[in-house]
Amino acid sequence: MTIKREKPREKFGYDPQKVIKKLEGIGYQILEAVKQGKNPHIDVPMRGISNVYYDEATKTIQMGDKISRRYFLHVAHAKKFMQTVLIAAYIKRLVGEMKHASLREAYYANKHSVGGTKENTFEDQIESNAIIEDLERTLGVLREEMHITADRRGYIYGDITIKDGEDEFNTSKLGMGGWAVPGTVEHLKFTQINVDYALVVETAAMADRLIEEKFPKKENALIIATQGQASRGVRRLIHRLHYEEGLPIIVFTDGDPYGWYIYSTIKQGSINLAYLSDKLATPEAKFVGMTMDDIERYGLQRVTEKLKGIPPNKKGGPTGDYKRILEEMEYPWFKNREWQRQLKMAIKLGVRIEQQALAHKSLEFVAKKYLPEKIANEELLP
Amino acid sequence: MAKSEAKELFKEFKIQSVSEFFRRNAAMLGYTGKVRSFTTLIHEAVTNALDACEEAGILPYVKVEIEELGKEHYKLIVEDNGPGIPEKFISHVFGKMLAGTKAHRNIQSRGQQGIGISGAVMFAQMTSGKATRVITSTGGDEIIEAWVMIDVEKNEGKVVKKIKHPNPTGWRGTRIEMEVKDVRYIRSKQGPYWYLKLTAIANPHAHIELIEPDGKLIVFPRGSEEIPKPPEEMKPHPRGVITDDLFRMAKKTRRSTVKRFLVGEFSRISSQKVSEIVKYVAALRLINGVEEEQKKKQLYERLANGEVDIILKSFGKRGKQTLRQVEKIMEKEPSKLTWHEAEEIIEAFKYIKFLAPPTSGLRPIGEENIEKGLTNILNPEFVTSLTRSPKVYRGGIPFQVEVALAFGGSLSGFDILRYANRVPLLFDAGSCVTTSAVRSVDWKRYKVDNLEDAPMVVFVNVISVHVPYTSTGKQSIASEEEIYEEIRLALMEIGRRLKKYLSGKHRKLHQVKRRRTLEKYVDEVAEALSILTEKPKEEIKPYFLGLIEKKFEAPEVEAAEGEA
Repeated sequence: MTIKREKPREKFGYDPQKVIKKLEGIGYQILEAVKQGKNPHIDVPMRGISNVYYDEATKTIQMGDKISRRYFLHVAHAKKFMQTVLIAAYIKRLVGEMKHASLREAYYANKHSVGGTKENTFEDQIESNAIIEDLERTLGVLREEMHITADRRGYIYGDITIKDGEDEFNTSKLGMGGWAVPGTVEHLKFTQINVDYALVVETAAMADRLIEEKFPKKENALIIATQGQASRGVRRLIHRLHYEEGLPIIVFTDGDPYGWYIYSTIKQGSINLAYLSDKLATPEAKFVGMTMDDIERYGLQRVTEKLKGIPPNKKGGPTGDYKRILEEMEYPWFKNREWQRQLKMAIKLGVRIEQQALAHKSLEFVAKKYLPEKIANEELLP
Repeated sequence: MAKSEAKELFKEFKIQSVSEFFRRNAAMLGYTGKVRSFTTLIHEAVTNALDACEEAGILPYVKVEIEELGKEHYKLIVEDNGPGIPEKFISHVFGKMLAGTKAHRNIQSRGQQGIGISGAVMFAQMTSGKATRVITSTGGDEIIEAWVMIDVEKNEGKVVKKIKHPNPTGWRGTRIEMEVKDVRYIRSKQGPYWYLKLTAIANPHAHIELIEPDGKLIVFPRGSEEIPKPPEEMKPHPRGVITDDLFRMAKKTRRSTVKRFLVGEFSRISSQKVSEIVKYVAALRLINGVEEEQKKKQLYERLANGEVDIILKSFGKRGKQTLRQVEKIMEKEPSKLTWHEAEEIIEAFKYIKFLAPPTSGLRPIGEENIEKGLTNILNPEFVTSLTRSPKVYRGGIPFQVEVALAFGGSLSGFDILRYANRVPLLFDAGSCVTTSAVRSVDWKRYKVDNLEDAPMVVFVNVISVHVPYTSTGKQSIASEEEIYEEIRLALMEIGRRLKKYLSGKHRKLHQVKRRRTLEKYVDEVAEALSILTEKPKEEIKPYFLGLIEKKFEAPEVEAAEGEA
């Protein structure tokens, strides 16, 4: 076993007072402007692919410096301006009172008709969600740090003890289902960590399998089930466990473009949340499988699935999975020999392979042979 | 056989008086249809009143009252505050056709031939058998009350009864009361109400009241204190007359020679021009004598090019002879001018270049007054008008076009208000040049997307000493190209103004909307900022309101300047 917990590099940094100060900062800046008879504005870093780049130094997707300036004295901006300060004020109270609200609650709490009109401050939750994201980007503060939570998704199982408010528990003592990761993990404290690394597992079925096979105990690992694309809570948890607790991160997904993308998001961050990469991404994560090599190595030829869509060399192609793979080949962090080989092989073979395909060998195979072997030998992709 | 037939025929032959003629042809005076006849009666009386007031420099106050006496049987009363009619003229004014102060003068006027009011008197007499009651005073000691009838055969007015009353209050004016049958009062676009409304618009200096048969009083109040100047008499321009005009004028003139007559009674004819006329008449005579068609045609063309001297020379001795003959015509007494000679002179006029006719006699209503009239009577939101400078049609008849446009406000639909010399034209709109000109304009270009539904009124007044009516009814103006073009040009100009106004209005509305958009968020923003900064909301709010105020101050000043 060479994979071992490392030295922590980040300290738990959440401070509600800092968030409140930042929110107040917006308020003072606006008030100062109107007092001087100036058109007040809020600078919001632009979202979207045009304002992100891959930072070689941090190996994460980062937000660019393009800014959209939102003026009050601009008919097209006025409503959003109002919405922004409205939500900012709401969050200030929320954080001040140490309460948490879901995105939906935040929407309803701020939806009311604008004085003297039939117009609502917010017509749809999409609007308030967008404003909350704007504030994250503007302040460089996580939505979770502003006490706005998303639905929980994903769970963990392993010998670590967490302090969550007044509760303290070991996530290997909560039953086979583990502990569900909340929308916000900022307030969690890790009081004891008795694992060597964290294994991030794409599907719940596979995570359940590993728990049943007592993989966490035997391999001294923490299982983190993402249940598809990792939620922000899970991604933040992974980040914290890696940087604050020094846990190596190993990702286990299906061998298909979607699985590789899940890995990519955990590792480098995403375009949408590029501004949060410093808090959500874990560029040092490694990939254990599934790989295209596994097919031959473990004799899984008969349990592969065909890729969807038209291959690039066929008329009308590439489409579907093929197109996704080709796109992924262009990602800077996949621009290395190992990954290019995997992706090319996928296109060549025209197949994908699921985690569960390993059950073809036997139910225990994955826990007893596949993972321990690969991890111990460090047969991991970068 | 033929002889006896003729005899039979001529047994019935009678000399018909002018009155008799018009009695039989009432349609020519506008007495067709029960509604139109009523309007015509009122038109004649009101026109007389307005003209009289204008000439006397009095601000008109005209009262029209209609009483219903029975089925299609009414009493019409028209009273004015005009100068009144001297006793001895009463029978002439009301009884004689083709009499009056204007018939023989080349002058822009509301009426033209002086058969108006006497025609009305005759119409009343014909339909009800009643005399017209005239009450008038020139402001002196007495008021004359006279009943006037027309002796149709003699074309003479007869005062059948006359009473004199003292005039202690010094009342001055004329009141006419006539009983008429076979007419109908309805409030249509061709009825008296509409006629008076249009009259009021074009005559903002007049105060007009109408009492309808049901007793309802409608007042079209005065919108301007300015009395229009009475029109000046204008000498006719040579291009604007026909042989008959020239012939008749020659018969009537007191000038001693044809030359003096031409110089004295036409505009733009000098002694020098008379010599030119002589040359042209001579040349035309000579050319007419040429037998060869081809050569004749060539000579006409050369004449049109002004080569009159060369042509005369080319005829040699005969040319000189002819010239002398024509010169003699000019020395004749005008009354001895023959029809043929008049014809020749008119023909020569066509080849000669004259200065454009004077336009001093044209009396437009004026932009300001039209705008006052439209504003006062129609209460629109936007009004603009344009008086074009005088032009000439048919080469010599001066005319002038005035147009105006009223938009929005109390207006509901689209209308064209047509006038000729300030007189509203209510009938035959379809054949009128004003209608075709208005319709020919692409109003969409001026932001009027749907003309028929637009809350817009287009006003057109054609002014001329000789308005080219399409028929004797004088309700529609002929499509003379020059007039058509003038109206169109004028309309396009005011169309541009309308567009500017409408754009400005949209911009302004837009501004108001923008301002409201910003204002409605002030409360929310102030509230939120109050939470963020912990400053009272009441302290924050005024800053924002002030900011919005400042933003919208400047552009509004700009818009106001743009309109001015």
